[in-house]
Amino acid sequence: MTTAYPLPSNLSPATVANTASLLRIVALALISGAAIASRLFAVINFESIIHEFDPWFNYRATRVLASQGFYEFWNWFDPTAWYPLGRVVGGTVYPGLMATSGVIYNFLHALNLPVDIRNVCVLLAPGFSALTAWATYMFTKEMKDESAGLLAAAFIGIVPGYISRSVAGSYDNEAIAIFLLMFTFYCWIKALKQGSALFGTIAAIFYFYMVAAWGGYVFITNMIPLHALVLILMGRFSSRLYVGYSSWYAIGTLASMQVPFVGFQPVKTSEHMGALAVFGLLQIVAFGQLVRSHVSSAQFQKLLYASVVATGILGTAVFGLLTYKGWIAPWTGRFYSLWDTGYAKKYIPIIASVSEHQPTAWPSFFMDLQFLIFLFPAGVILCFRELRDEHIFVIIYAVMASYFAGVMVRLMLTLTPVVCVASAVALSTLLDTYIDPKEPDTGDDTKSESEATVVSASGTNGSSFSATPTPTPSKKIKKAAAAAAAPLPTSGIISDLVAATGGPTRRGEPIKTKGIFGMDSRLIVIMHTLAMLSFFVFHCTWVTSNAYSSPSVVLASTNQDGSQHIIDDFREAYYWLRQNTPEDAVVMSWWDYGYQIAGMADRPTLVDNNTWNNTHIATVGKAMSSTEENAYPILRKHDVDYVLVIFGGLIGYSGDDINKFLWMVRIAQGVWPDEIQEPNYFTPQGEYRIDDMASQTMKNSLMYKMSYYRFAELFGGNQAMDRVRQQQVPKVGPTLDYLDEAFTSENWIVRIYQVKKEDLLGRDLKSANAFGQGKKRKRTKPVPRRRAIV
Amino acid sequence: MAPKSSAPTQQTTAIQTLWKAYNEQTSDRLKFIDAFLFFLMLSGIVQFLYCILVTNFPFNAFLAGFSSTVGQFVLTASLRSQVNPENKNEFKEVSPERAFADFALGSIVLHFFVYNFLG
Amino acid sequence: MRSLFALLLLPFAFAAKDPQQQLVDLSTAGNGVIKLDATTFDLLTSPKRTWSAAIQLTALDKRRRCTPCMEFDPSWNMVAKSWTSVPKEQRNTHFFATLDFDDAPTVFQKLGLSSAPIVYVYPPAEGPRQPANGKTAPSKYDFSTGFEPGPLAEHISKHTPIPVPYKDPIDWARWASMAVGGLGLLFVLRFISPILTNRWTWAVGTVVTSLIMTSGYMFTRIRNSPYSGGGGNWIAAGYQNQFGQEVQVVAFIYGLLAFSFLMLIMIVPYQSSPYRQRMQVYLWTGVIMIIYSILVSLFRVKNRGYPFKLFL
Repeated sequence: MTTAYPLPSNLSPATVANTASLLRIVALALISGAAIASRLFAVINFESIIHEFDPWFNYRATRVLASQGFYEFWNWFDPTAWYPLGRVVGGTVYPGLMATSGVIYNFLHALNLPVDIRNVCVLLAPGFSALTAWATYMFTKEMKDESAGLLAAAFIGIVPGYISRSVAGSYDNEAIAIFLLMFTFYCWIKALKQGSALFGTIAAIFYFYMVAAWGGYVFITNMIPLHALVLILMGRFSSRLYVGYSSWYAIGTLASMQVPFVGFQPVKTSEHMGALAVFGLLQIVAFGQLVRSHVSSAQFQKLLYASVVATGILGTAVFGLLTYKGWIAPWTGRFYSLWDTGYAKKYIPIIASVSEHQPTAWPSFFMDLQFLIFLFPAGVILCFRELRDEHIFVIIYAVMASYFAGVMVRLMLTLTPVVCVASAVALSTLLDTYIDPKEPDTGDDTKSESEATVVSASGTNGSSFSATPTPTPSKKIKKAAAAAAAPLPTSGIISDLVAATGGPTRRGEPIKTKGIFGMDSRLIVIMHTLAMLSFFVFHCTWVTSNAYSSPSVVLASTNQDGSQHIIDDFREAYYWLRQNTPEDAVVMSWWDYGYQIAGMADRPTLVDNNTWNNTHIATVGKAMSSTEENAYPILRKHDVDYVLVIFGGLIGYSGDDINKFLWMVRIAQGVWPDEIQEPNYFTPQGEYRIDDMASQTMKNSLMYKMSYYRFAELFGGNQAMDRVRQQQVPKVGPTLDYLDEAFTSENWIVRIYQVKKEDLLGRDLKSANAFGQGKKRKRTKPVPRRRAIV
Repeated sequence: MAPKSSAPTQQTTAIQTLWKAYNEQTSDRLKFIDAFLFFLMLSGIVQFLYCILVTNFPFNAFLAGFSSTVGQFVLTASLRSQVNPENKNEFKEVSPERAFADFALGSIVLHFFVYNFLG
Repeated sequence: MRSLFALLLLPFAFAAKDPQQQLVDLSTAGNGVIKLDATTFDLLTSPKRTWSAAIQLTALDKRRRCTPCMEFDPSWNMVAKSWTSVPKEQRNTHFFATLDFDDAPTVFQKLGLSSAPIVYVYPPAEGPRQPANGKTAPSKYDFSTGFEPGPLAEHISKHTPIPVPYKDPIDWARWASMAVGGLGLLFVLRFISPILTNRWTWAVGTVVTSLIMTSGYMFTRIRNSPYSGGGGNWIAAGYQNQFGQEVQVVAFIYGLLAFSFLMLIMIVPYQSSPYRQRMQVYLWTGVIMIIYSILVSLFRVKNRGYPFKLFL
């Protein structure tokens, strides 16, 4: 046997194995380190702070849990949210995240490490990303081997699609959910492969943890049954499948009902019925198998077959009847909108209005996954080549997740793990093939099976340069047989291509030896692959540091000299609220800012990001989109003391309320179609404008007035310009009669207005205001601290 | 499909042969497990009938009881197929002792949740 | 002289008749829809009306080239038709009417309209059905739900004495074709079952599906993006936007890259001649490099701030 490059010959197999496992451990440790480190950009560039919106609620809940204990948290009724309704927090959250940080916090304190709960929350996501890398390694190891596992772990550690939701400070359910997802899948594959009830039970326990942590658990609830169903349909039923699935389902379903927010849903809603149906089917099939093992009469077999089919039809009919009768709830809106993509926009505009529920354009895929996105189909094909039971899982996962990721941006998160796994399989197969030192014989003399097997993929580690041929015969033979069978059908598809490049079509010829000749072919492919990998690393670092590490509570801009300028308007305004208003002052804002106000300003809010009560949100939308006179009674009825709007026109912050305004109108219109009508907010030409040509309804709306109140004055007679909409604001700005400007932050991003009380003399506020202005026209107005940034 | 007229007699003979074959081919150990399975099945049927005919209140107690029987049933059935000598080459990594340990662990976890759910 | 007299008398003759009865007659004549002109429009929307009315303002003449008008008109007529089946006493208190631009341009001018189609619903201004809040101004129907008859009937039902009894007609043709198609599929299935049980059929299906999905097909479906912009411009500006043609191009690029990798992994190692194998290795590596550079430069077009580039 010739080799392409010299191999050390004086190594015992034990040394090779030991070195390989040591290298694996070191590599995994380094990968974990890289995964954590690359998520710390947010802390380094800004500070250790909780990001965005939902994390603020989680943080607030965790603080309650850490300070008052689990029991208090469980029974926590929050009267300040959804004023005046209040919210039962314990029964309406997935408590897994808070419980996890509570446990870590108490553990560290038991060790006398006085860590602040905020730092636990901020660093939870990076910590769990290291665990995700490990779980992905274990999962991929089941698919191929350790080297693929290491590649997959490295990919998931730094891939932006996962970093986007797990940077330090992004303290959200997804932070721990992806680890739980991958580990549950790993346990399921293990349970299926070994037929072990132990792994089934572990899978059920982690499934329970997942149910307690994230609403996306429904993905597992349907993926595993789908896999089982496909296996049955392919005629791959085995007792191992029965053991794995039954133990997972029986324990997992019972466990999932312990979470109060989930309750009886697993036996009452359609999302969970698939799992139950497959469970039932599996019992029938298993019973049939048992009977068949005892009796082999053809007649009986027919009878059995017929009874299985009849039971299936009967079950479907019963399911239909129950749904019809209303005992089983039909698909819930959020889930249903994944299939009928027009549904959400029509019936649940709140869901459609969230930016992370928008469909995904291709640049987002490339941004989040880079070269993995085109290695991924190659990996799926390689899974088809072997097609063991666990490969079918990856294939189903790939199809489902790529559909879901296309429909909703946030579901990119569920696609990312399978992309990493599949492309790691592809890339490690490539490297195995081209690092392998064996030179094939040039002649076309046929080799025996056993010799051919030795040449096939051998375990190489991501970092080691010497190939380690570890002979595991049974696996190898299977693999080689599959590999040998594979090219025959493909060559049919691609025969013309191969012919065009000078290669003969080799259909029906005896099995050829497999291998690469010479060093140059090897080197070019390996160098090329290494170049792609390092480009991937640069890409990930750039994307992470630029796109995904902004806390969105603190903004950053770059000055002309390249230094960073921090825009801290949100916290400025929230702290103003906290220090200058009475503790029970009710603040009205659009729901996006509800959690932040509760978390940072500690004031009651009308609506927040929980969005459970559509009417309440529509009320706020109506108040924002009607005229001052119409909005005032709404504000007074809800005891609103302050109204908070976000306005980005001065510095060009595009995520402001004027840009969200149409959604407010749309949601309000859903409840009061007679009073609020979307077309009225457009110009007759159907454009959305805020300048002189804006429609009268638009100009009179409370939101418009609050946003542009005294905006034009800022430009001192020059033409005022809205930097987000790139439109010129009317020179004569709107006037306010029922509200007073209370606070405007440095860059005008947050503007807070105080709602006036009823006039003492019983006049309506408009005439009172006119009277007051007539009298005191010469009163000098206090100059608030604001300046234009030009 | 068999013609309808002769179906009942054929069925009875088929079931008779099945019963005979079962008695002959199954070891006593497995028969013992099967007896337990049969008991669990009866218990489940009784609970289900009670739920439909009398009341399903309190629902969580019914669910806990019913899923404890179903869960125990499938765990026992798993144990049965794992220790069945016919399936030896399917469960290469699960010895009968390991199977029993798995069974015990699964049952403990199951009944922990049942107990928690009884409320 | 006589004719002049008759002409003078005509308005009186109209006036003499009860306006509501007159509208009922017009409505019956038009199969549930009153064809309006300037006079009858004023009659229908008179400030003393005790009835409600839903008016479609449209421009159906071919020269106006109003495609939405054409699309919407059948839905309108179907809803109006369904109203004719309600009992007489309710039927005669609500009218459906159509006003074509060419019949009464003055009305369009008066209402200040420049686009069509538009649906106005006039609530009754007097009488027992007068709205409680006293608003008699017409309300405009919001076309954001599309031109379907279902939502339209639902909207108008809010203003009629009883709901419009509109039901979507059962699409027999569609059901029949589905049944035939299903049967045909079953029949064909017998012949193509070897193809269906072949794993590579499924492999190709799976990969094509995920390629299409990951190149933003669902985006174009949900947002109804056009196939391409005007003037040979097929790349939509902006990072969060794309045209239909981009789906094809990007899916093709991804597919080609994946295919090149598969060639390197699955085909090239089986080459028995070192020379040919070397050529293929160089070929596919080159293809990957070039196509990948194209992909990155395409991405740079979409995302202006992207700092990296390969050979292109």
